Amino acid sequence: MASEQASFLGETGQLVRAVGRAMGVTFKNLLRRPITVRYPTVKRVYPDRFRGILALTYDPQTGEENCIGCRLCEYICPPQVIKVEMLKAEKRNFAKTFTLELYACEFCELCVQVCPTDAIIMMKSFDLATADRRELLLDKDRLHALGLQFDPSWATGNRLRDMQAPPKPAKAAAAPAAEATVPAQSPPDRRAPAAGAAAPAHNSPDRRAPEASAGAPTANTE
Amino acid sequence: MPETLEIGYGGSERLTMNMGPQHPSAHGVFRAILTLEGETVVGVDAVIGYLHRCHEKLAETLTYVQYPSIASKTDYVAAMTAELAYVSAVELVGKIEVPRRAQWLRVLAAELQRVASHCLWLGTWCMDMGGALGGGATVFLYAIREREDVLDLFEALTGARLLYGFHQPGGTRYDLPAGWTEQCRTTLDRVEQRIGEYEAMLEDNPFFLVRTQGVGVISRELAQEIGVSGPLLRGSGIDHDLRKAAPYSSYEHFQFRVPVETAGDCFARYRVRMVEFRESIRIARQVLDGLPEGPISSRPGVKSVGQVRVPKGEGYARVEGARGEVGCYLVADGGPKPYRLKWRGASFSNLSVLPHILPGVKVADVVAIMGSVDPVFGEVDR
Amino acid sequence: MTPLAYDALVGFIVLNVVIGMVTYVTLLERKFAARMQSRIGPYYVGPHGLLQPIADAIKLFIKEDVVPRAADRWVYNLAPIVFLLPCVLIFATLPFAPGLGVADLNIGVLFFLAVSSLEIVGLFMGGWGSNNKYALLSAMRAVNQIISYDLPFVFAAFVPVVLAGSLQMSVIVTAQQGAWLGIVPKWFVFYPVIGQLAFVAFLIATLAAENRVPFDILEAESELVAGFRVEYSGMKFALIQLGEYAHMIGTSFLAALLFLGGWLGPGSDHVLVGALWFLLKAMFIFLVVTWVRWSFVRIRADQILAISWKLLMPASIVLLLAAAFWVAARGGHGV
Repeated sequence: MASEQASFLGETGQLVRAVGRAMGVTFKNLLRRPITVRYPTVKRVYPDRFRGILALTYDPQTGEENCIGCRLCEYICPPQVIKVEMLKAEKRNFAKTFTLELYACEFCELCVQVCPTDAIIMMKSFDLATADRRELLLDKDRLHALGLQFDPSWATGNRLRDMQAPPKPAKAAAAPAAEATVPAQSPPDRRAPAAGAAAPAHNSPDRRAPEASAGAPTANTE
Repeated sequence: MPETLEIGYGGSERLTMNMGPQHPSAHGVFRAILTLEGETVVGVDAVIGYLHRCHEKLAETLTYVQYPSIASKTDYVAAMTAELAYVSAVELVGKIEVPRRAQWLRVLAAELQRVASHCLWLGTWCMDMGGALGGGATVFLYAIREREDVLDLFEALTGARLLYGFHQPGGTRYDLPAGWTEQCRTTLDRVEQRIGEYEAMLEDNPFFLVRTQGVGVISRELAQEIGVSGPLLRGSGIDHDLRKAAPYSSYEHFQFRVPVETAGDCFARYRVRMVEFRESIRIARQVLDGLPEGPISSRPGVKSVGQVRVPKGEGYARVEGARGEVGCYLVADGGPKPYRLKWRGASFSNLSVLPHILPGVKVADVVAIMGSVDPVFGEVDR
Repeated sequence: MTPLAYDALVGFIVLNVVIGMVTYVTLLERKFAARMQSRIGPYYVGPHGLLQPIADAIKLFIKEDVVPRAADRWVYNLAPIVFLLPCVLIFATLPFAPGLGVADLNIGVLFFLAVSSLEIVGLFMGGWGSNNKYALLSAMRAVNQIISYDLPFVFAAFVPVVLAGSLQMSVIVTAQQGAWLGIVPKWFVFYPVIGQLAFVAFLIATLAAENRVPFDILEAESELVAGFRVEYSGMKFALIQLGEYAHMIGTSFLAALLFLGGWLGPGSDHVLVGALWFLLKAMFIFLVVTWVRWSFVRIRADQILAISWKLLMPASIVLLLAAAFWVAARGGHGV
């Protein structure tokens, strides 16, 4: 009887301790700062390689479209959402029409990886929710407009292919991107940095038409 | 579903209840037609196939370069595993070399993916047992908070949070960006500390123990016969982990422990996965400490998007995913596309154990058992 | 004004106050739970979500009232009302401050406990009338559980009754006046051993009688998607929600009254200050119950019954006997 009583008390003691521990964990989290990012008022900082909406680019020096209508992206796209028609011209070719069905796109970045002229890139945004699916059937004008509207991701075709090549001797002025290091044991601050934060240095040419706003791709290799 | 109500000799009624494809705890689209006597399950008829998307036929129409990002959609919770299985099969049959740095990066990705997948498992399992408006949801949100940190790492590495397209035949597509190793170490430290918190919340909690100990016992013989793998196997006393038994992608270089428990119940599987958490973090740290320099792909640059022509042959490559053995059997015919691809989904084989362990348990235990089996229906139905 | 009209007016006012309090307590619970889960709760409707309950109420008003064709019409339609009535009737006996209450019956506690256990009828009517296997399963579990836990509930609630020597609620509160050594208030929760154990037993029984996690096997969203409420929508669902939360608040008030001294506190001579203290204590108990709710997984139906019959029932009987012996040893009348 004594041992039964003892084990009953022991079990009750264990129950009380366990309850206390569980409620202690919950209480500790009550005092932590919530990790919610109040999107869309506050936007999260997207990493450099974010794979967002696709867009076409202009050559910053000449102002011409980068796309030469080679159709490599059309061939490599797994769900076959890209359709291109080539327009032959004297010095170089262009794309006559370029349609991309964003509603079926997988965002796998293979088209970006294959593009020889860095014409098609992905943007650091995914804000294209719409009530009409036809708005997601992007034609060439829309794709170029998107290229000027959002921040481009770091990844362009040449950069991705260079990344896979054997490492060359260290290049000059490859400043590492400013990824915020956070103190241990507390959730990272996902809110967008204050307006005065310095933009990371870059050593690649601006890949957009001269009228574009600031926000160039940043260097991202070690 | 027509309802059948039979009155037996003892006056016991049997009720056929449908835990339908739309259910908060079905872990996906899964239909279990339970035959109940009161609160006890006496029979189960599992219906799958609601998520069949013809992956194997689709693979025959896509080249070896195009398919890895589709492969991640089989086990969408642990996408790196499925991609690795596919590219390993291609490299096996095509005799394509993988550079050392790529192998180590693959290990890193696989182990981080295991951490993220187990976070989701813990969260959804506790939510099934505790309700969406209750203590389960608290553990769910904490676990998702940790998973989001790991997904942030993947997002900085590849640009995507869930379906990566990180692997390609010959190596990986992306290399580590600047500052990533520090971010990774910080995240690993934080996840390790938080796992300690979850264990404190659950481990000696009598409510949790009474829900999981002795529930859903898979005996050692049953586990061996049925063909389960992963934590289900190791929770029933069989020490079999592909990372040690048939090492792939440089796993033989790493020191880690494979947890084995003998009880075979839900609690044993829980312990196996909690130890796997910590061991995965240990492996990830070892990779970060000793990552070799070199190319990340043996088909770099323009070749990475060029066609891979795999000569005629067939082979089976398997990896140890978070749920068990994920395998890819590839039959190649010399062209740029496979002739036939067969996926061995870990969850598909794990689910086959249900008709053997469910009869005799209460309805409430069905969800606990389903959660500890941890199926992902992309893998089951492909 | 005739006494009847006066009483009716007071009752009407109290009812409206209770309903208003119940809707805002849902917001309190959601914000508190959210903070425990590293997130913010309702935020956008009104400043910091203060208009969220209003939005929810409006949403429930304008929702379509879907009645399953095979449902038992009368039982199905009456169930929310039968469920709600006892849950708001319990507020009739609660004295919010000396002289401020609808009816301070001399069997107040007994009336409260008896009426509050009538909700089980409405619950079972809802489960049966819905003609839905999930609802039926949950209703059967609920009957099992609530009946098993009503007994420890009553026994634990009777410990303060025995200690105070009266069933009348205001007498129980006045029996807790004063302080030992001028610091520790003479609330029943501070009575050595008996008070604390009875308080804990009462809280556990409350959790079970309210179908709160870890005892919420009857709704168990992951198994029985909303339990007996699964076929209700619109206003009927609103009534059921109202009833559940009203019952929850009512038992929080009862716990505050029986164990934490009701309206007693510094400055409680003034009626409104006393009512404020009462409210704060009841909210404290509600938050503790919420804290428990959001920390634990639920336990299985047979394990719930095992806890009640094997642990809580004997413990509460022993406690009641101990309290009775103690009172008898001190002369037979209340403390």
